[in-house]
Amino acid sequence: MKKIRLNKLYPYLFIAPFFLIYIAFSLFPVLYSFSISLTKWNGVSESAFVGFSNYVRLFTSDPLFWQSILNTVILIVIAIPLQVLMGLMMAVLLKDFFHKSRGAFQFINYTPNITTPVAVGLVFAILFDTRVGTINNILRGLGIATDYIDWLGQPVTAMAVVILLLVWKYFGYMMVMFLAGLSGIPEELYEAASIDGATWWKKFINITIPMLKNTFVFLITTSLISGLQLFAEPQLLFSRAGGLVGGPEKSCLTVIWYMYDTAFTRFDYGYGAAVAYGLFLIILILSAGSIKNIVKEED
Amino acid sequence: MNKVSPSKVLVWVGVILISAITLFPFYIMIIMSTYVSEDIMVSLKLLPGDYLLENLKTVFATDFLRFYWNSAYVAVISTVGCVLVSAMAGFAFAKYRFKGRKVLFGIVLATLMIPTQLGLVGLVMQLRNMGLMNTHFALIVPPMANAFNVFWMTQYMKGSVPTEILESARIDGCNDFRAFFRIVVPIIRPAVITVFLLAFLASWNNYLTPLVVLNKEELYTIPMAVTLFSTTYRNDYAASILALTLATLPIIVIFAFGSKYLIKGMVAGSVKG
Repeated sequence: MKKIRLNKLYPYLFIAPFFLIYIAFSLFPVLYSFSISLTKWNGVSESAFVGFSNYVRLFTSDPLFWQSILNTVILIVIAIPLQVLMGLMMAVLLKDFFHKSRGAFQFINYTPNITTPVAVGLVFAILFDTRVGTINNILRGLGIATDYIDWLGQPVTAMAVVILLLVWKYFGYMMVMFLAGLSGIPEELYEAASIDGATWWKKFINITIPMLKNTFVFLITTSLISGLQLFAEPQLLFSRAGGLVGGPEKSCLTVIWYMYDTAFTRFDYGYGAAVAYGLFLIILILSAGSIKNIVKEED
Repeated sequence: MNKVSPSKVLVWVGVILISAITLFPFYIMIIMSTYVSEDIMVSLKLLPGDYLLENLKTVFATDFLRFYWNSAYVAVISTVGCVLVSAMAGFAFAKYRFKGRKVLFGIVLATLMIPTQLGLVGLVMQLRNMGLMNTHFALIVPPMANAFNVFWMTQYMKGSVPTEILESARIDGCNDFRAFFRIVVPIIRPAVITVFLLAFLASWNNYLTPLVVLNKEELYTIPMAVTLFSTTYRNDYAASILALTLATLPIIVIFAFGSKYLIKGMVAGSVKG
C-alpha cells in the first residue's frame, strides 16, 4: 500500500523544484509588481495606495510612454522584416550552394546572436563614434563623406544605427531557424518541380516559402515579443555619448528603458511597475493568438 | 565543382561579403585592443598593433579577474541548477500520468509569455525585504526555473526515454530518483548539453538583473564590469575595448565547441511553432 502511494507522489516531487522556484521568484515578483503599480512609492517612505491612477496617467497623459512604445515599434517593424529577409536569403543560399563550408558560415553569422548584449552596444558605439569611429574614418578615407557624421547624435541616424545593430545581431539566428525549416522540406517536391521545368526562383516562391510558414510565424511572433523588451543594446549604445536617456530627442527610448529609468534611476517604483504592466498588456494582445495555437497543439 | 556559372560566383561573393560584415565589429574590437588609445584616436587601424600586452596589464591590474570569477561561478551554479530542475520537471511531464499534468504543463507554457521584466520592480522589493540585495542570489536562483527549458526537456524525453524504464527499474528495486539519475540522465545527454548551453549563455549575458540588484563593485559580473570599464576608463579606449573582447571570448569558445547542440536546442523550440 505504502509503496503505491509513494509511486504516485514521484511526479509531484519531480516537478516541485520548478514550481517552487518559479512561484517564489518569478510569479510572486510579478504579482507584487502589480500591487506596487497601484501605489505611489519611492522605495523609502511609506507607500501610498493610489488605485489605478498610475495606469490612467500612463494611458491618457504620458506622451513619453507612447513615444517609447512608438520608438520600439518603429525599430522592430523595420528591423524584423530585414532580419527575416536576410536570414531567409542566407539560409536558402547556404542550403543550395554551400555544402562543405555551410557549417562555418552558419557559425560565423550566428556569433553576433550569442555575443553579450553589453559588448554589442559598446562596440557599435565605438564603430559609430563621431571622431574616432571606424565608420566615419572609412567613409572619409574612401572620400564618400567629407564631414564627421554625428551618427548617434541625431534621431534618424541614431535609430538607423540601432536597426543596423538589431539586423546584425539577429539575422544569423533567423538563418539557423530557416536552415532547420528547410531541412524538413521533402526533396521530392523540388524534384517533381524540376521535372515540370520550374526555375530556381519558381521553386523558391511556390515550394520553399509556403513550406516555411511555421518557421515564419514562429520567428515573427517571438521576435516581436523579444523586440518589445529591447533594452541593453540601445542603452549601452548611448552610454558613451553622454549617457543621454533615450538617445537624441529620446528617439531610441524603448519601453523597458523607460521602465528602468522610471523605477531605478528616478525611484518612482509605482509608476515604473505600471509601465511594465502597460507593456505586458500590449504583448498579451499581440501574442494571444499564438498562445492559443501552442495550447491547441499540445492537447 | 564541375561547372562554375557566373550566378554561382555572385552567390559566393554575396555570402562571403555578408559574413565579412558580420565579423567586422569583432575584428575591429580585436584590432583596437592591440593599440595605444591615442593611436586609435588619430587614425583608422586595420592591422594589429603591438600594445596588446600593455593593455592586458591595464585590464588585469583592475579587479577584472574577480569579475570573471563572479560571472563564472554564478553561471555554473545557476546553470547546473537549471539543468537539474528542468530535467526533473520534463521527466515528470513526459513519463508520468498524474492528476493535474495537463493543467500544470499548460501553466508552464503560459509562463513562456510572461517577460521577466514584468516582475523586476517586485523582485527588487522582495529581495530588499529578504536582505538579498547586493548578493548573487537573484542571479543564481530565479533563472533555475525556466519554462522554455522545461518545455524543451519534456519534448525531448517524450521521444527518447522508453516508458518501460521505470517499471524495470522498480522491479530491480531501484527507486524513481535513482532511476532518474542513473538511467534517464545518461540517455538525455544531448538535451542536457543544450539546456546547459542555453542557460549558461543567458546567465553570462544577463545585464538587467545585476544592473538593478548589485551596486557593490566587488560583486559585479562581466556585463556590469564592462560598463564600469567604459565609464572609468573613458579615455583609455583600448583597455575598455580589450575588456569587451575578453568578456565575449568565453562565450564564443564555448559556442564553438557546443554549437551543434545549441543550434539543435534553438531549433527544437520552434518545432511546435
